[in-house]
Amino acid sequence: MTIKELNKRKTPIVAIDTTLDKYNGKVLFPEKLAKANEVLKRIGLPKVKK
Amino acid sequence: MNVHKYQLKADRKLHIFQFISEGPKGKIPKLVEFTETNLHDFYNLAFGDKDPKTGKINDEITTNNGDTEKVLATVVAAVYAFTDKYPEVWVYATGSTKTRTRLY
Repeated sequence: MTIKELNKRKTPIVAIDTTLDKYNGKVLFPEKLAKANEVLKRIGLPKVKK
Repeated sequence: MNVHKYQLKADRKLHIFQFISEGPKGKIPKLVEFTETNLHDFYNLAFGDKDPKTGKINDEITTNNGDTEKVLATVVAAVYAFTDKYPEVWVYATGSTKTRTRLY
């Protein structure tokens, strides 16, 4: 991939930091997740037009 | 539109992202988390400030570091990175207040 192509991409370059692996399996925002689950349960899945 | 973004770091699964907000309030680490909801392949997006002393996360704080647009652009970049790795997933996002949800 050229530099020009890289600059056009919307996907950023992300550095992997293995110290962040300690957060795997943990929910950092439990209230947010609970709220999201509640809304998704109440409203359901979005309708996707094909 | 090409807004400046902060450099992103992530865990190996690309479920947790971290970047450092820089401004008048100093350097503030921020975390972005993608967590699967009770619906398979539906992920909740959440982000907030990480207290470097306690390690606790706060998504209701108003940092006031003068870089709202850059922070949001960085969070969007994290969404692109996450969905690039997991193209089949859906991402659900709201703010901690109605005002923030409208902004996002």
